Order: sequence, then structure tokens, then C-alpha cells
Amino acid sequence: MTNYCGYMGKVLVLDLTTKKTENYIWTDLDREKYIGGKAMASKILYDNLTGSETPFGPENLIVIATGPLTGTGAPSSNRFDISSLSPLTGITSSSNCGGNFGHYLKKAGLDALIIRGACEELNWVEIDNGEFVFHDAADLQDLKCGETQDTLQKKLNEAHGRQIRCGMVCIGPAGENLVRYASVISGERAAGRAGMGAVFGSKKLKAITAAGDAVPTVFDKEGAAEHRKKWVNYIRSHPLTGDQLPKLGTAGLVSSMQVHGLLSTRNYAKGQFEEFEKVNGETLAEELNVANNGCLSCPIRCTRRVPVEGKTVKGPELETLGLLGGNIENADLEQICRWNYELDELGMDTISAAGTLAWAMEANEKGIWKSGLAFGEREKLSQVFDDIAHRRGIGAELAEGSRRLSKKYGGQDFAIQSKGMELAAYEPRRAVGQGLGYAVANRGGCHLNGGYLVVLEGLGLNIDGQTPRGKADLCMVMQDLMEAISCGGQCLFTSYGVVPGFMIRNPNGLLQRAVNAVVPFAGPAVRVYNKIPEVACFNIPLIPYPTELYYTTGMKMTLGQFTRAGERSYNVERAVNARFGVSAANDKLPKRLTDAPQDPNNPKTKVPLEQMKKTYYRARGWGKNGLPGEKKLRRLGIR
Amino acid sequence: MVTVKLFGTLRLDSGVREFTAEADSVRALYPQVLAEIRARKPDSAVTEKTLRACLVAVNGQQTTPRARLKNGDVVYLFPAVAGG
Repeated sequence: MTNYCGYMGKVLVLDLTTKKTENYIWTDLDREKYIGGKAMASKILYDNLTGSETPFGPENLIVIATGPLTGTGAPSSNRFDISSLSPLTGITSSSNCGGNFGHYLKKAGLDALIIRGACEELNWVEIDNGEFVFHDAADLQDLKCGETQDTLQKKLNEAHGRQIRCGMVCIGPAGENLVRYASVISGERAAGRAGMGAVFGSKKLKAITAAGDAVPTVFDKEGAAEHRKKWVNYIRSHPLTGDQLPKLGTAGLVSSMQVHGLLSTRNYAKGQFEEFEKVNGETLAEELNVANNGCLSCPIRCTRRVPVEGKTVKGPELETLGLLGGNIENADLEQICRWNYELDELGMDTISAAGTLAWAMEANEKGIWKSGLAFGEREKLSQVFDDIAHRRGIGAELAEGSRRLSKKYGGQDFAIQSKGMELAAYEPRRAVGQGLGYAVANRGGCHLNGGYLVVLEGLGLNIDGQTPRGKADLCMVMQDLMEAISCGGQCLFTSYGVVPGFMIRNPNGLLQRAVNAVVPFAGPAVRVYNKIPEVACFNIPLIPYPTELYYTTGMKMTLGQFTRAGERSYNVERAVNARFGVSAANDKLPKRLTDAPQDPNNPKTKVPLEQMKKTYYRARGWGKNGLPGEKKLRRLGIR
Repeated sequence: MVTVKLFGTLRLDSGVREFTAEADSVRALYPQVLAEIRARKPDSAVTEKTLRACLVAVNGQQTTPRARLKNGDVVYLFPAVAGG
């Protein structure tokens, strides 16, 4: 139970081996410290994993966690998180999803579900108002994600004699066959990264459905309504969230990345793709986008809808356009839309699949691993993806990801991954702060967990992308704020409003130019805030999250406390990963990015990682080993 | 003669993808860009102020609106972007 609104006050453990559930104690103090979502999941993993578990062992846990704002109608608050020990990286990881499962999990009466053990045969689990029913899933075996969800909906409707409104998560063939980067799909949205689908597969859990009649309460309905109205108006009037993202989606970044040398090309050998205009967001919008779509309660609606095989399906995001475009030297946009759909249907992360493919193409070219895959290849790839999902032929090896392949065959210098996770499409040698983020990110080569500094280094503001100055402190504050926002259950895209619209609108104006010049020198000031965020003992309209939390839950939180909650989240995840062997030695990038300049005539165009890492660890108050010590964990209230 | 290409919401809102123009600097291009947009969409809300606020790249490299142009250059104009 809880005294806070927004939450359902219940966390359950579901043991797949015994098919029984039990309550998990999660107190209001825990809620105040960790808010929910990813931080909550990290703390649960921290309290339950010892370091001896393996990703595919029954002792591994899956935590599906919502935030207090999930399902409450707050702007873009449909997110939920799946965390577990990742088969791709071997450490704990999380994957955030905009599908509607989180919303319905709360309607079923739960804030979070912890899954342990494993089924003997393939099963799907129905949650109905907090009651759990196991169903045999033999007839769902090898079904793709769309067909799986259609079948489950039909089964539920038939069983209950009426149309059941529910949320679902499921895996496709890739998850069943333990592809290390298999995703979990909810509707058309993916918890794509880190192989959460393979963990489902290892537990022989094909799907979960959730339905119920519970409704999260709101602490101050009038205040919340007023606050949300203002916030939605602001989101709709902002040039990024109200104009660019609705019109172009994330695909709108391709052209800007090209100009800044940030567009991964030919397995990150280059940062510009000659044929980028064929695969950019503008062309997608003009030629293929038939409608916009969005997650529940989202005013931004950044999702593209494109035609594939006579159907209208979810279009590719920027990362997929970059990695299945220039990074494998493909300029066929329709083909990218088709592959994106196929990968979602097979239940596979598009980023890691494409990153592994690019490594294989280069390895083939260099004669390291003769896979028959070549840059520019288009004809065979649909079959290759199907082979990966079913672990057939070279697909069985590609299913292992680029780190394992490069360890086996060589070519580690151009395996574009960190901690085993393939990087997103942002080439970091022209945005070195993003490079630092990729390397130190708890879950591996993730652009978001890394702090997304590229938004300051060319894709929003234009601070010097080559200088390491100030980047470590900025990386930390961005990571912490994004953690906290995510924990509440909201989409990170709402955070673009943090940079005022008038500044974004005029990148050539005096104000933005001054900000661009000054920000790298703001490191010491940011460091002070990072050390004592409580100096911000107030809230500001540009960062409305703590205020929204208050109206929804009744939990009073200042901007400083909110930032501290993000820091706590980051540290608890780091602390549990330390049990699985993570240290500074794992915070690395492939040599292509740290040793080889992108522009051979400009030695600055590489990531000065070691220099930035030292400053970053100091900023975080971690030891030289890149880990939070006992004192730090106690100070954050983790121990 | 230079080639001008529009990107982002500027391209979607104006309907202009690319055209050729005569100019010796990026700034000198703005009236021609505006004329091209107006010819395509007379009611377009794009003004010269909108264009002045655009990021500029010449031959694929980011530069400033002050940049000088030579015959054969390709100029990109796009409004600020962020997010992925």
C-alpha cells in the first residue's frame, strides 16, 4: 500500500517455476528515493542479484516497472521499463517502451511485476485485475509479434465473451531462439535494446497480457489539469516538440547529422553518407509517411506510419535509418521501412541487428569472417534477418552480436559496441561528449543512457563538438535528469522543452552563439550543481517534472531532489553492475572511434576518452576504478 | 550558379526541395529563396527572418550565413533540429 497517489501500491513477484505470486515490499520511502520505472527496477535488481546469476538462468529476474505518472494522463506518460540481466552485455540493463502495457499493468493493479524462475514449456500469462492465469503457448510458437498479439486478443475476447481492452508484451521468433538482442514488443512499440526478449525466451514466456478496472488516483486533480494544460500548450508551441517531431519524426535528424559529420556511415568509418537525401526524414515524410501516430497521452506524435506489403505499419526511427542506411551503404528507403517492420515482427532490436550486420560486412571485406555479406547488399538481408531470428546458417553467429563475433574472429577495433551493446547511429568523433556517454553508459553503447550530449553538440545547440572541455560534468547532469524523467514514466522527448524555443529557433542569433561559446566553460558551475543539486531548492517552469509529480502523487520534490533521484538511479545501476565485473576498464569504445581521426587531416576528430573519463569519475564522486564507493552509496541512501 | 537545397520543416512547409540561383554569398541568396518559396506557395509564412535563422552548410560543411559562394557550390538551408 502507499499514501501517495499515482501509484497502485502493489509490486508482485511472479515465480514461473511454481506459478505462484507473492507481494514484494516496496515502501513509500523507496518511492521517494527511486520514484519508479527504471530506478525502481535497478534497486530491485540490486537487492536481489548477487553477481553469480547468468542471463539465461532461471535465477535471473525480469522487472517490468511503471512510473507514478504512467497511465495518469500526464503528457507523454505511457512509458514502462523492462530490466534484467542482459544476454547481450552480461550486466544488468533496461529497455524503455512506449507501448500500452504499462498503462494496463496499472489498470490490473500493479506498479511493477518481478518475474523469476522459468516455465517448463512455452506459456503466456494473463493478468486480470491482479489475478494470474497461465496458458499453454504451443500454438503461438514461432509466431511473429503482430500475429501473436492478434491471436491473444482473439483468445481473450473469446474466453471472456466480450472485447477485452488490454495491454500486451510479447516476443517473436528471435526471443524464443535466444537471439542476444531480441526485443519485447508491445503493440507496435519495442523495448528494443539489451535482449530483454531473449530473457523472456529463456524463461519460455511468450507473452503477458494485462487488463483490469483499477485507475490510478491523482493527488490534486484541478492542479494537475491546469498544469498539464499549460505543459501541453508549451509542448505544442515549441519548435522541436510542436513542429519538427510531429512533421518529421526522429528521422528529421538525418540531414543535420550529415552536415555535422555525425551520421554513421560504412560501419562508422565515416560520418557522412553521400546518398543521405534518399534516406532522410524529409524524403520519408514526402514519399512514404501516410500518417503520424503517437503513444497514449502524447501530444507530440512523432511516430511515422508507412506502407509495407499493403499494410500501414510503424516507420523507422532515426537510428534505424542511419544504421540500415549509410552504415551499410544502402540508399533504398522503402527497403529500410520493410526491414524495420520485419525486425519488429521477428522481435529483434534494429540497432544491434544493423550494427552487427555492418561489422560482418566489414569483416567479410577484410577477409576476417567470410559471411558473404557486403556493403550495399540489399537482396539477401530479409532472409538474413529471418535466419538470425531462427539461428540458421550465418544467422546463428550473427545472433551473438558484434562483440562476441569480433572476439571469435578478430576485428574488435571496428566492432562498434560498448560493453557489448552496439552504438546508435550518432558517430561520436564529431561529438566527443556523446562518445564519453556511449562509453560510460551503464547499459552499454546507448545514446540516451549516455546522456545524449549530441543534442548540445550540434543537434539543438551547437557547442564545440571536438572539445572535451565541460563534457564530463554536462554528461553527468544530463544523465541524471534523464534518469529521473524516465523514472516518472514520461517520454524523454518532453525534455526538449528544457531549451527555450526562442533559443532553438535562431541558431545564428547572438543568444545561441553566446550560449554555445560559454557552455563548455560552464563545467565548474555544473560540477557544483552535480555535487549539491539541493542548491536548487525550487522548481522552474522549464523543468516541470517535479511539479507534475507533486500534483499527481502528492510527493513534494524540488528540482535538486529530482536531480538527486536521477543520480541515485544511475549509481544503483552502476553498483549492481559492479557485482557483474563492470569497472573503468569496461567504459571503452572501439579503437576506430578513439584512435583513428574521422578526418585524417584533423587529429582532433576522435574521442579523447581517457581524458574525459577521469573527469567524469571525479564529477560522479567515483573512484579511479569507475565505481561508487561505500561512502557514496551510503550518502545517496542506497545502502 | 549555385544549387540551393532546403531541409527539415522549411522544405515540408514550403514545398521547395531544390533550385538553382545566382549569388556570391549565402546572405544574397535569401531573397531568391523567398521568391522561389512564394512562387510555389504564395501564402507561405516563411520570411527572410526565417531564412536568416536557418543553419547553413556549403558543400556539406556547416558554415555561417556570411560564407562566400562560388560557381557550382551546393548550399543547404535547414531550421534547427534536435532529438532522437
